[in-house]
Amino acid sequence: MNNDRQTDNAQRVVVTGIGMVTPLGIGKLEFGRRLFAGETGIAEITFFDTSSLPSHLGAEVKNFRPRDFISAKNMRRMDKISLMAAASARLALEDAGFQITTENRDRVGIVLGTAFGATDITAQFLQTLFSGGPAAVNPILVPNTVMNAAAGHTSIELGFRGVNTTVTHYAVSAENAIAYAAAEIRRGTADFIFAGGADILSEFYYMSLTKFKALSPQNKNEEACRPFDKKRNGMIVGEGCGIICLESFQSATDRGRKPYCEITGAGMGSSPTKPNQWPQNPEGIKTTFNRALKNADTSIDNIQAIFAAANGDITLDAVEAETYAEIFDEEKRPSITSIKGATGESFSSGGIRACALALSMEKNILPPTIGLTNPLRPLEFVAGEKKELAIDTAALAGISFGGTYTYLIFGK
Amino acid sequence: MKKRIVITGLGTLNAIANNVPDFTKALQVGVCGIEKIDLFDTTGFRSQTGGQIKNFTPRDYIPQKFSVERMSRADKLALAATVEALRDAGLYPLPEKLKDETGVAIGGGAGGLLESEEFYRDYLENNGKNAKFSTLASLFCASSADRIASAFELSGPKSTFMTACSGGGTALGYARDLIISGHASMMIAGGVEPMSRLTFAAFNALKSVDPETCRPFDKDRAGLSLGEAAAIMVLESLDSALERGAKIYGEVLGYGITCDSFHMTAPDEKASGAIRSMQAALKDSGLSLEDIDYVNAHGTATPVNDVTETKAIKEVFGKRAYAIPVSSTKSMHAHTLGASGALEGIVSVLALNQGFIPPTVNHREADPLCDLDYVTSGSRKADLRAVLSNSFAFGGNNTTLIFGRYSGRGVARE
Repeated sequence: MNNDRQTDNAQRVVVTGIGMVTPLGIGKLEFGRRLFAGETGIAEITFFDTSSLPSHLGAEVKNFRPRDFISAKNMRRMDKISLMAAASARLALEDAGFQITTENRDRVGIVLGTAFGATDITAQFLQTLFSGGPAAVNPILVPNTVMNAAAGHTSIELGFRGVNTTVTHYAVSAENAIAYAAAEIRRGTADFIFAGGADILSEFYYMSLTKFKALSPQNKNEEACRPFDKKRNGMIVGEGCGIICLESFQSATDRGRKPYCEITGAGMGSSPTKPNQWPQNPEGIKTTFNRALKNADTSIDNIQAIFAAANGDITLDAVEAETYAEIFDEEKRPSITSIKGATGESFSSGGIRACALALSMEKNILPPTIGLTNPLRPLEFVAGEKKELAIDTAALAGISFGGTYTYLIFGK
Repeated sequence: MKKRIVITGLGTLNAIANNVPDFTKALQVGVCGIEKIDLFDTTGFRSQTGGQIKNFTPRDYIPQKFSVERMSRADKLALAATVEALRDAGLYPLPEKLKDETGVAIGGGAGGLLESEEFYRDYLENNGKNAKFSTLASLFCASSADRIASAFELSGPKSTFMTACSGGGTALGYARDLIISGHASMMIAGGVEPMSRLTFAAFNALKSVDPETCRPFDKDRAGLSLGEAAAIMVLESLDSALERGAKIYGEVLGYGITCDSFHMTAPDEKASGAIRSMQAALKDSGLSLEDIDYVNAHGTATPVNDVTETKAIKEVFGKRAYAIPVSSTKSMHAHTLGASGALEGIVSVLALNQGFIPPTVNHREADPLCDLDYVTSGSRKADLRAVLSNSFAFGGNNTTLIFGRYSGRGVARE
């Protein structure tokens, strides 16, 4: 009996640390304070000139001083996305309350999601190639053009030598990374895995998104991020990194750590969708959500809160809301919140949202959906201000353009 | 007991063959596909050669019913290899009932960089005035998995791995685990890497390419040769394969993944990450050192990799290292980066299935520091039980896969 329970506890994956570098703040104290106070990180872009573009707002990470987190020796070689990832991982490591030693380092890993990687470095690299030809290419830039650079630098900075991979699948990059990391903990290939997502704002990237006609303002309305709102007219792009530390419940108990929450299940799915378009119907989302519930061995009636994927996009928000309207009984509707009105859409936002969810479960408070005043459907949205709610079971929604879905279920 | 996961379909296009039967023959003959590149202008680069795919006319491989509109070369290669793999698995057209729980895992590479260069150029030179949205549609590496899933109307999990040169191997290991854990019942898994000027410029700038043709494990080796490929496998549980009477190529027995945590582009000279990666795969497979009959090496032909990998193999296998044939098929199909783990997975499976060890071609003179049996004078007939295949990457990512021969009902060879 006792043995069985120990096996079970080794199979249970818990979150014992969180770390983040976001437009709302760096580290869980500032991030949590501003998140629950209903503040937003969205403002006029200051990193580059947007005067020739149709959009001008973004959620930039400000006041980030990498030297507070990263050794001078490694910092020289690191680009912006790597600095954010390494700083977030260090914060999560400190929060988890253990140290990397020669004894444990082979059993500590990182699985990072990034939707677009170092778009700043790629543009810079191509600039040198186009303007000066092969002879002008700067080899120093090369290591940072690969999408796994951030996880590689973070491993070097913090000494992680175990499982290491980088997942990139647009807007579910971080959710897939977390699901994969949880599976590796269950498989017993690592004792600790740091998992989450990182993406950055760069001029080239911002311009490309305006070319995709993905950003607010659309329909000539005022530029703003309004998740689930009738007047929503496109997303506002953000940046940042959020990383959670995963370990088995057995390991956390042995170390005497109280976890934020448990990852009880994951569901992944797809549906045929035109390239780069948001899904046009709820089918794929429903299937995936159900898979996650089944995997977590729970039922839809137990879901009390959803950290939504909605970002203010006209199609995405409508389809996500339609899904929840269809699958939940009217009396058993969960509280739904989207923090993207505060953090912007960073695509690998699942990392930052998982950190927010962990804080919510710890504090029994849900953060408000900033920008939501006229809900597009009568659901239980957390709008206006934070909501106090003791949460036993919550879902993190990952929905991507291109028709890819990942839902994660969290338990107390 | 852990679910047994088998390989029931293969598909590939690479520098030495545009389908699996031709690939098998080319590997047995020892064909080198590294030649002058004509996909883009290579003037001014250290190297002008590479493993380019020849005579690729997408419609020869992709049936008319699938749209290829706005697809990048990478997307078309990936879809073409998927069609071949599904046909090979007896799953074309894909039965309706299988669509629900079939997923896609792809090791990505340059994606649509070749096509989207014009967009970048316009952005950098004219601030994006003339940039066409359409050239960006397939830019990112996750596009290929999306295209495959949409073409076959799949509802299963979908993910893309970007760990430079180990992504294809990781995708296969990940796909296997998704079937074991019940997240999918069948996976289309592999990698795709198209040639692009950016990748070519990057490796040339690092001086990690051989100006001529790569010579893995040779005393005078001077770097790698860049290549391109799509390599796709169909994975499913043994029960599922037997139930539908599929032919079985082999089993995915072991998967190990580690990090050097040492340097972004150079391997750790102590080879700790590579050693632990092979050990993790061996442990996962439950096999002993005596069970491995062939090592399909990462073998890039850079001066450092080949010595380090040799050292790692000796550290892992001890004296047995000298008795195990080791070869680098990159000497034939070149280094296909994000696809290489998957392409060399196919090489390993074909070797097991057809009973041969593919050679390391272009080898002229032995390096005293590389003193294993590198199979340098043509392919060998061999009855193989299990093959270990390594992929090591920039960023310090290491992935090792172990494939085993399947000898029961439904075996593909015969």
